[in-house]
Amino acid sequence: MDIFSDLIMGLSIAITPINLVYLLLGAAIGMIVGVIPGFGPSAGLAILLPMTFGMDPIGAIMLLAAIYYGAMYGGTITSILLNTPGESATVASTFDGFPLAKNGRAGPALVMQAVASFVGGTVGVILITLLAPMFAQVSRSFGPPEYFLLALMGMLTLIVMIGENWRLGIISALIGFALGTVGVDLETGQGRYTFGSAELIGGIYFIPIAIGLFGLGELFYAFYQGLHRFGTGGIVNYENEDRFWPTRMDWISTRMTMARNSVLGFVVGVIPGAGATIASLMAYSTERSLSKTPENFGKGEMAGLVAPETANNAASSGAMIPLLTLGIPGSASTAVLLAAFLLWGLRPGPLFMEQNPELAWGLIASMYLGNMALLTISIFAIPLFVQIIKVPYRILGPTVIVVCALGTFSVNASFIELYIMFAAGIVGFFMRLYGFSAAALVLALVLGPLAEEALRQTLTISRGSFMIFVERPASVWIILVTLMLVVMLPLLNRIGKKAQMVKKLDAG
Amino acid sequence: MTIQFEPTHWLPSSTVAALSACAIALSAPVMAQEAYPSTDETLDWTIAFGPGGGNDIMARTIIDILTKYDLYPGDVSAENRAGGSGAVGWGYLYGQDGDPYGISTTSGSFVTTPLQADTPWQPEDFTPVALLATDDLVLVVNGDSEIQNIDEFIAMAKAEPMNIGGTGTVNVDFIVPTLFAEKAGFEFDYVSFNSMADQTTALLSGALDAMVGNPGEILGLIDAGELRPLVFSGQSTPDALGDTPTMGDVGFDIGVSMPRGLILPPNVPEAAQEWWIGTMQKVVDTPEWAEYIASNTLTPTVIYGEDFRTFLGQTKTNFESVLKSVGAIE
Repeated sequence: MDIFSDLIMGLSIAITPINLVYLLLGAAIGMIVGVIPGFGPSAGLAILLPMTFGMDPIGAIMLLAAIYYGAMYGGTITSILLNTPGESATVASTFDGFPLAKNGRAGPALVMQAVASFVGGTVGVILITLLAPMFAQVSRSFGPPEYFLLALMGMLTLIVMIGENWRLGIISALIGFALGTVGVDLETGQGRYTFGSAELIGGIYFIPIAIGLFGLGELFYAFYQGLHRFGTGGIVNYENEDRFWPTRMDWISTRMTMARNSVLGFVVGVIPGAGATIASLMAYSTERSLSKTPENFGKGEMAGLVAPETANNAASSGAMIPLLTLGIPGSASTAVLLAAFLLWGLRPGPLFMEQNPELAWGLIASMYLGNMALLTISIFAIPLFVQIIKVPYRILGPTVIVVCALGTFSVNASFIELYIMFAAGIVGFFMRLYGFSAAALVLALVLGPLAEEALRQTLTISRGSFMIFVERPASVWIILVTLMLVVMLPLLNRIGKKAQMVKKLDAG
Repeated sequence: MTIQFEPTHWLPSSTVAALSACAIALSAPVMAQEAYPSTDETLDWTIAFGPGGGNDIMARTIIDILTKYDLYPGDVSAENRAGGSGAVGWGYLYGQDGDPYGISTTSGSFVTTPLQADTPWQPEDFTPVALLATDDLVLVVNGDSEIQNIDEFIAMAKAEPMNIGGTGTVNVDFIVPTLFAEKAGFEFDYVSFNSMADQTTALLSGALDAMVGNPGEILGLIDAGELRPLVFSGQSTPDALGDTPTMGDVGFDIGVSMPRGLILPPNVPEAAQEWWIGTMQKVVDTPEWAEYIASNTLTPTVIYGEDFRTFLGQTKTNFESVLKSVGAIE
């Protein structure tokens, strides 16, 4: 087979000692970049890019790509241990990851997230290897109408995120939408709530808000509860070393979750601009709708951690498809990779893989090895990271605040983003106290601007006609899938519940 | 294989900025008495954007050339002072009033950011050294389109208004097609996107009729026939675009482009300005510079000193009048 000879050629390039060193170096840097809250892969890549100028492009791209997908492994560690997302794609991992740690299952949660990341990442690379040309067609069928429908589909997941108290949930989501309106209006170019500040031209970034609401909010809440007066531990319990490995139940119950969300994450990743963050949020809510025990989500359900983790890694592989097959970056991180290609004098585009087979297949092969390396690094590093939660809370709390502040500041050197992060922390504390849904706010902040911009672009293109949504095949597909989710899932749930009741009655 | 490993390149920009701020505070009182440039002073090169961007690459290319040909006698320290679409970095340079050892490179935001936000500075305030190149745009349609050339495009657009995509509104992407359409006598709907990637996807998906963009990022798609270039906004078409005509060739020259140049802080002694003009004349003659221009598909447009100030003023006025007429700015 042609593909296998290409892949073996790629492997033979990737496996040279110097390239392996670059790969491991990239994986390790990626883990660290991911662990530092606020400091995501795109910032890490941008800063390390000049270092690769003098390097051989193949080694350099393996290094940079490993940083990119390695960050997905590292980002979850603080999500689980501190409720502080290391980067935007791991926000959804806090929803069940942190409750798991609180319940004393930090070890199994960390192991499962590493395995889920590995499965997602590896399935993603397999799909790239086998079906890149097919998925390239998916990448290129997305225009503004499809993005709008995708955002709408995402908003359906808001209903899941809103939580038990729907009034407070809706208010949370509305705050998120309102924050999403800040920035220069894309269509007219007028500033909206920017108050003449150059730093608000680009709008309110998602990551300082997420770190504030989740991480700092949780910290302030812990202080409020007086946890700093206790010796160690506090927010999360972790005593027993024998509970380090996941139980058989954990493995069995999440098998299908991994399979489903690898594919879901990959497909969302293939769509330029949707990316790992949206993939992880969609995976979480889909998994919750499909679950037989949706009431356990948010309280420490293993599937609730595994789903977004599998999806964000699969999505980071998927985002390689538009980059390699069309030369279009699907995310901030892949935009830096594209910049690297251009710097090295390469010409990304449809002919890229044909013209640079060594580079393209070397990169793909290295992603198999990189994911294996990251799984190994993660498993060995987990006992180290678990030590974090044994640090006395009065030391841990302030340290986390400083690290969050440094991480956030280092990305854009923006004081306004620091203020936003601290303000979000205070708001997050009160939201936690009164039962608002920080998850709904964050999701609304991501989807609101996407939906607004896509709808306005669509209507400019169609000159105000909504018929455009049914004239394009890709749009029709998305509408059908959405309808299926809306109609079929509740129906299935109901049938499932009835069947259970019948069973119970029979048994009784 | 060599690995370049320069500390300032990989340290977080904020750390570097903080460290260098201390250094500047200590060295500031010592002003140059002898001939410019003094080897005792470190040249403080502000890059108003993060590493890896267009502005960063240009600054580092010039610094590499200065170092390679020994054109600058002292030490050069390049710092990324990113934030607020350039407002932070150029604000810093503005604060170095009269100091001939501050310097920065400009890009499109140098003109557009002051139009959008209350910056204390305007592009004409700085001491101009040289305009070195301009970022120009190419108008492309989908490779499947029946439109083969710009004449057909104009004829079709006159018959039925088309939509043209671009990145942002307070941007050359909007100004260029607006002025071109005015001259050629057709109307169009402008569709604004957040990034080149978004608009390219939209064009490939068949949602857009056409778009404008920097050729560099889409050359691969043009080579493969996925996109068809129709017309180029610069004074001369880059080799990579083949025989695509310029807007001037088809009779509708618009005379607007994004300036990539070099500036010093306001009120710098004339001797320093003259020294830099002389030095940049040598820089643009090097093969490294020619390679930079070619690989980034820039248009080499070189003007020096006060002419550059006039150019900046004209560009700003042009932008302002178009943006005001559509209500984007007040």
